[in-house]
Amino acid sequence: MVTALEQAVALVLSGDGLLLNIISVTLRMSIPSSVISLLLGVPLGTLLAFCAFRGRGALVVVNRTLMGLPPVVCGLLCYMLFSGVGPFRHFRLMYTIPLMIIAQVILITPIVIGSMESFAQRIAPAVRETARGLGLSRRRAFLLLVNESRYQIFSAYLLAFSRAIAEVGAVSMVGGAIAYKTNVMTTAIMNYTNMGNFTLGVALGLILLAMSLVLNLAVSLLQGRLSR
Amino acid sequence: MNLPPFRKSYGGRVVLDFPGGELPGDGVCAVIGTNGSGKSTLARLAAGVLEPDRGCPGWPGRPRVGYLPQHSYPFQMSVRANVLLNAAGRGRKEARERADALLDRLGILALADKPAHHLSGGETARMALARLLMRDYGLLVLDEPTAAMDIRSTALAEELVGGYQARTGCAVLWITHSLKQARRTARAVFFLQEGQLAEQGPAETLLTAPRTEALRRFLDFYAL
Ligand SMILES: Nc1ncnc2c1ncn2[C@@H]1O[C@H](COP(=O)(O)OP(=O)(O)OP(=O)(O)O)[C@@H](O)[C@H]1O
Ligand SMILES: [Mg+2]
Repeated sequence: MVTALEQAVALVLSGDGLLLNIISVTLRMSIPSSVISLLLGVPLGTLLAFCAFRGRGALVVVNRTLMGLPPVVCGLLCYMLFSGVGPFRHFRLMYTIPLMIIAQVILITPIVIGSMESFAQRIAPAVRETARGLGLSRRRAFLLLVNESRYQIFSAYLLAFSRAIAEVGAVSMVGGAIAYKTNVMTTAIMNYTNMGNFTLGVALGLILLAMSLVLNLAVSLLQGRLSR
Repeated sequence: MNLPPFRKSYGGRVVLDFPGGELPGDGVCAVIGTNGSGKSTLARLAAGVLEPDRGCPGWPGRPRVGYLPQHSYPFQMSVRANVLLNAAGRGRKEARERADALLDRLGILALADKPAHHLSGGETARMALARLLMRDYGLLVLDEPTAAMDIRSTALAEELVGGYQARTGCAVLWITHSLKQARRTARAVFFLQEGQLAEQGPAETLLTAPRTEALRRFLDFYAL
């Protein structure tokens, strides 16, 4: 255990090519998928909280269900759509980063929507009543609600990114964990552990933790500074 | 100006059955009544922000309404920025001058650059009133605008709304739990009880010589 840790640290410090490639693939997948999910989820989630229509409750339940979508089911869905027999096969996206991003966006967007909705829904009635009382347009009232939810966007992004780097099931199904192409940190940890190569697994695990720590620190510093 | 009939129920329970009533064109109409008597519900329906049992929010022939909710929301920006949200097409400089003048008249100009969500309850209420009065409306609906204010701020608020009313000639529906305030400000009074308009009339007669037993008992409580 201790030697595995020592070797792992040495591996990270040596700037191993395979290791760097795995990290690079992970970031090229996680950053776009979390950003796209955020761009979709923030307006949708806030809108869901803002609009007081009859089907709202049902939509919230549907979204909560999608938040719990098992990654392998999402992987299966993407596989069926994009593999050799699927309707989208001519896009030739199987075992590529773009398809991994698509699968991740399907998984993560509902989480961003849910995070924004549950926050904005608490203040939406007061914001709406105040804005309408002044005679502001619906559009301005909505933008005010987004503005009131701005610090929640950081937490939503944290959730999205953490989910993106931690996910295994869907990305291994549609990405195939091909070395130097679609192998990300989580799938690599699985593979190398299965091969009995704990050193690389531990090294990757440490880096994952460190990335999460750095991001969380950055966000909480930013949040603290802005909300002061 | 005539308010139309309004009816609102929640889950089969009628919380307001308002038969319609006339608002004086040259002064304030105070709405009084116990907790839960339907005052805020009447305010929301008159302001057009609540859907009545039948039909859509709003009512035919209504003027531009400015409505101050019982708990007006302080947006997370400076006090001045909050007030400027209601600048409505004015030039920047003119809007800012008007905002600062309103804040000054309510005694919170010194707080203009503070974040609005750090204000005290009474300061928030004054900011909300200043924000509302940035624009000229045909009808003002004020839901307990001074409930959180101290005596001095209340006097400033009454003076400000009085001046606004005189300048614009708007109708004002003013909900209050203070009979003294109703006497000071109102020409007419609506007395609500359990969702019914139990009594309405000119302020002098209604507040001194109640016709109904319900209003007599209500006024007696204040005499205690
Ligand atoms: N959204 C709602 N759902 C269910 N009942 C409601 C709702 N809003 C108001 N009510 C009920 O309607 C009644 C009238 O409420 P309203 O807010 O108009 O009272 P009020 O006269 O303004 O009281 P207060 O002096 O406490 O402000 C109350 O009994 C309240 O419980
Ligand atoms: Mg009320």
